[in-house]
Amino acid sequence: MPEEGEKEEMVTPGEVLGKAADLKAGKGAYVAPYRSSEIQYVFSSLTGLRHTLTPPSDSPDQRPTVEVIGHKARGAVPEAGSVVIARVTKVMAKTASADIMCVGTKSVREKFTGVIRQQDVRATEIDKVDMHLAFRPGDIVRAVVLSLGDARAYYLSTAKNELGVVSANSTAGETMVPISWTEMQCPLTGQIEQRKVAKVGS
Amino acid sequence: MEFVNPEGLRLDGRRPMEMRQLRAEIGAVARADGSAVFEMGNTKVIAAVYGPREVQNKSQQSNDQALVRCEYTMANFSTGDRKRKPKGDRRSTEISLVIRQTMEACILTHLMPRSQIDIYVQVLQADGGTRSACINAATLALADAGIPMRDLVTSCSSGYLNSTPLLDLNYLEDSAGGPDVTVGFLPKLDRVTLLQMDAKLPVDIVENVMQLAIEGCKAIATYIREVLLENTKQLEYRRGL
Repeated sequence: MPEEGEKEEMVTPGEVLGKAADLKAGKGAYVAPYRSSEIQYVFSSLTGLRHTLTPPSDSPDQRPTVEVIGHKARGAVPEAGSVVIARVTKVMAKTASADIMCVGTKSVREKFTGVIRQQDVRATEIDKVDMHLAFRPGDIVRAVVLSLGDARAYYLSTAKNELGVVSANSTAGETMVPISWTEMQCPLTGQIEQRKVAKVGS
Repeated sequence: MEFVNPEGLRLDGRRPMEMRQLRAEIGAVARADGSAVFEMGNTKVIAAVYGPREVQNKSQQSNDQALVRCEYTMANFSTGDRKRKPKGDRRSTEISLVIRQTMEACILTHLMPRSQIDIYVQVLQADGGTRSACINAATLALADAGIPMRDLVTSCSSGYLNSTPLLDLNYLEDSAGGPDVTVGFLPKLDRVTLLQMDAKLPVDIVENVMQLAIEGCKAIATYIREVLLENTKQLEYRRGL
């Protein structure tokens, strides 16, 4: 429902949103000199609604940020520091590969590959980690993106209490119940399996 | 042959500075990230944009900007005689290159490194000015896909027959042998990004003919902006905003 008094303007690419001296360019906007003059203006680069964000009061730059929100739903892309949900595909001696399925709360449109290295599984005794006692193929893990990684995969880390295996199936095929931060138990057979379990809830 | 009769009317009844009727439709190809159909009189063109997506040919991948690919084809049924080779012939390759360079200059490629943007344009009905219609359709499709651009690139053609500058040539006027000037223009930034001409034109007339095409581009830009705003409003209503 549009609020009365907050008239949000609809803009198209190339439209002038304001002077660069008064506004900062956020998402969907860019700064360029206006025609042949020297003065820098903020232009829109997308079609959508224009929003103005007030700057935080402690920042040195008190210019409001203007951004243009497009209507096309963009699939989420993992960025350094974002929490992702991934499914483990391969477990090897020093690394585990996982397919990233969700970034934050949004699911991805295109598959992204992540890799969890031995030293990023947990925070303590990092060189004594056995990958097969931490993950198995098919496990759903919550991890944080360390960096964009190399050409093949993002680098992920589960080295926090709330990161690690969130859901896993036992060899019997039943969804296991976590017992401690290293063990999960199958409710059907009672078998205990080793995983790096995430601490869910308070 | 008389292309402008003594009363000042052209073969299809237009005035020399009159453009053909424009019609645009957004979202014709539901599966594409962005698509548009653009009509300039009888010339009808469809454009589909896929991207930004992962680069298929890793050797062409660029670390600091997106790769823009463009393919121009003419449907077999687009001209009077059924075309045998819809793509791969010299004219199609040249126009693909021209459209690619025009759109690449306008897209903010540095925002999407290591990705690829594919623009496919196909002519469904050709009646002169296909190059311009393709660029206009590509602009609409890119805006529909939400790909950040500096400005809306619009294009229009103009010519010079019977000592009169004419705007937006149709097929008969184009094949008359006179000059055919195609201009690609960024209206808000007031910059010409494409300028092509075939045949010869006296130096003192070139400026006039080019200015006429630029005016045509500005009119098309106004129309394209209206279409985009209307389309976005419809989407907002459907989302319940």
